[in-house]
Amino acid sequence: MNPNPTATLASASADTLLVPFWAEVVAVRQETPNVATLTLRLEDADARRRYRFKPGQFNMLSLPGLGEAAISISSDPAERDTLQHTVRAVGNVSRALTRLKPGARVGLRGPFGTAWPVEGCRCRDLILVTGGIGLAPLRPVIYEIINHRADFGDVTLLYGARTPADLLYTDEYAAWEAHDIRVLLTVDRAEADWQGTVGVVPILFYRLRPHPERTVVFSCGPEIMMHFVVYEAMARRIPYEHIYLSLERNMKCGQGLCGHCQVGPYFVCRDGPVFRFDALAPFFGVEGL
Amino acid sequence: MNCELDEETLRALWHLPWFRRLKQEHFAALAQIACLRQVKAGEVLFREGEPQDFLYVVLEGRIGLEIHVPGRGNVRLMTVEPEEVLGWSSVIPAARRRTATAVAVLSSRLVALDAPALLRLCEEDPTLGYLVMRRLANVVAQRLLITRLQLLDIYAHPAEEGCHE
Amino acid sequence: MNERTLTADVVVALPKLHLDDLLAALRQRGYQTHGPRLRDGVVAYGPIEGLKDLPRGVVVHQDAGRYRAEQTDHPLYFAATPGADSWKRYLFPPRRELFHFHRRNGRWETAAPAAEAPRYALIGVRPCELAALAVQDAVFLREDFTDPHYHAVRERLFIVAVNCLHPGDTCFCASLGTGPEAASGYDLLLTELDDVFLVAVGSEAGREVLQPLPWEPATAFWLSQAQRGLEHARQAMGRRLPDPQSLPETLLSNLNHPAWDEVASRCLSCANCTQVCPTCFCWDVQDEIALDGETVTRFRVWDSCFSPQLSYLAGGNARTTVRARYRQWVTHKFASWERQFGTLGCVGCGRCITWCPAGIDITETLAAVRNTPQPAGGER
Repeated sequence: MNPNPTATLASASADTLLVPFWAEVVAVRQETPNVATLTLRLEDADARRRYRFKPGQFNMLSLPGLGEAAISISSDPAERDTLQHTVRAVGNVSRALTRLKPGARVGLRGPFGTAWPVEGCRCRDLILVTGGIGLAPLRPVIYEIINHRADFGDVTLLYGARTPADLLYTDEYAAWEAHDIRVLLTVDRAEADWQGTVGVVPILFYRLRPHPERTVVFSCGPEIMMHFVVYEAMARRIPYEHIYLSLERNMKCGQGLCGHCQVGPYFVCRDGPVFRFDALAPFFGVEGL
Repeated sequence: MNCELDEETLRALWHLPWFRRLKQEHFAALAQIACLRQVKAGEVLFREGEPQDFLYVVLEGRIGLEIHVPGRGNVRLMTVEPEEVLGWSSVIPAARRRTATAVAVLSSRLVALDAPALLRLCEEDPTLGYLVMRRLANVVAQRLLITRLQLLDIYAHPAEEGCHE
Repeated sequence: MNERTLTADVVVALPKLHLDDLLAALRQRGYQTHGPRLRDGVVAYGPIEGLKDLPRGVVVHQDAGRYRAEQTDHPLYFAATPGADSWKRYLFPPRRELFHFHRRNGRWETAAPAAEAPRYALIGVRPCELAALAVQDAVFLREDFTDPHYHAVRERLFIVAVNCLHPGDTCFCASLGTGPEAASGYDLLLTELDDVFLVAVGSEAGREVLQPLPWEPATAFWLSQAQRGLEHARQAMGRRLPDPQSLPETLLSNLNHPAWDEVASRCLSCANCTQVCPTCFCWDVQDEIALDGETVTRFRVWDSCFSPQLSYLAGGNARTTVRARYRQWVTHKFASWERQFGTLGCVGCGRCITWCPAGIDITETLAAVRNTPQPAGGER
């Protein structure tokens, strides 16, 4: 378990359980046909001042009558005024979130969960491997690295999606590359006008020659993709202690109270979602655990 | 098409991990049956259904593998990147014709190995034969694992009638 | 009025009829007195006024998937082992409002529920149930988060525990060290003999309530009768679970044991076990919209790891099979719980065995997993 206490708006001794703060939708950007990025601003100025998140953490976003959904925060942690959440419409709550308009109000609780250990990776080479919506919780990492670029070694992003239209944040890649972050893309299938790689994300590893002792891997995406990422990392002798995965499970409380998000002995909302792989290894890949 | 490798291409070939581990005489034998092939973006390298002639190693660029699906047109299944092998079907006895069409997505440089000559070399020198076949087994296995992942459609959009969350 | 002074280390004797006075005294102090009663042929917990409401003479026959209460004429009030009911729902209600949203001038605001923390006096809490309470305390009263309702009810709770001299056929508290004798966690502790209640004091509140009642120091005869009764109870457990400390390790290294498949072929995934279990705590959140659409109440409701909804994932499910869900329940209860809360999650009450319609016996499942452990070397 790697506890990562951060300032949170959900106070430990609240009179009532699970009551959200309110946030206003400042902007909505349609990323792909069923993914939208919501820019939220907490209504209460004091809450805005107190709120601080680390890359990899998530908020519980609430819509009265529909429920709550756990959504990763996808913005730059240094940006204090607003928070971005990239939402994929997969259920009632998330679908409704993607259809909000600026001016709408959303309940917000958080931040919850463990963070990517970006600080601990100074002077290291980083490989960020992700697919689909998995890029959202890694985007804050990219911004944190950009904000302190000189502190890190080689940084490479391996990213894939189903089709070119499903790639997220495409207009930001040039900026990331300008900051010396190598961006390698692939898609599962493409039309003739796509000039990039066609194939699954793990094959992007074939183009890398990482130094195992100083390379750290952060991965987030479909769990089966992460299996292959671990496999490729191991094949290049990257130790388990240098691999971090972000897991996803059904969450209701976001605080390790309701029992929903367990993987083995861990509560993904509290002991994760970011796990160091050596802690996760005995339970990862056990069918139906 | 040049049929003798120039210094620069020989060096590039020698830099590839598998080739680098070969004994000198094996590398020389392979270099003997190799040609440099250059293609412009959009050019077809070989077509689905054609008989086999060359095994390729990509040095630079990107080659797309496509299959024609009647009613859908050409579907690009995967791309072959630098340092990867293209056209394994030319050396595997079971595959008699090209299994896909290879189109240059970007302008590319490839080393083409004469397939019948390669098979003869393998017969004459079983040690080299084993090394070549083992490498090709790895290539095909890798393709299979990748294809399986693509088949699983891991980013699939869930059913619209989800009543959860 | 008793002039002698009670001390905590002395066991006294109280004539049985004076239990009514004890309950009256508690009600005078503002407690609602609850205890076991016979309802629909099952011993269940509810409001009681006195001895007349208790299941005197009831003997319960239990086995895997079987429960039958039989009325006899023996003089004991607390000899019937508990039914499907547990005290869990008093502190962790099956459905409870968390808060509600109210729309005012087109804007949603949140509002807290009406604060109501009843003062309960629980009469007849068995040692396994005290242990279950302690287990739930670790879940709901944590350093990083305290459930406010649980905390409020718990603070006000008065517990009259009762030692268990007649364990049930599915009980195995002795194996887990959670019974048949209560060690702590009560305000008063009764041991029921044929003629009298022996009473031990567990807290100042208990001492204060008991002090004025007509108790007498317990005689050596009665004390030894109690001891013999407890000793007999330890041996008379219906089930056994040897070496529970080794379970976490064994279970986590046998996640693909064939025993899981065997049990899964019988399990109906009906969630009865999680309902009757005094320690299970999974809960769901549901929004209920008022008909006029101006108020939405957010409820916390009991959930179960046997529900496919619990492990739902976008586009699929993390636990698609009954095998996976049954294994989750057992490994959580006997392995993960220890890592999460420092103790096992099971108290050996046997309810899950009795109330399983398929007659699945958790002690048998665990025995199957540990007696033929998988060979080492799993996947990867």
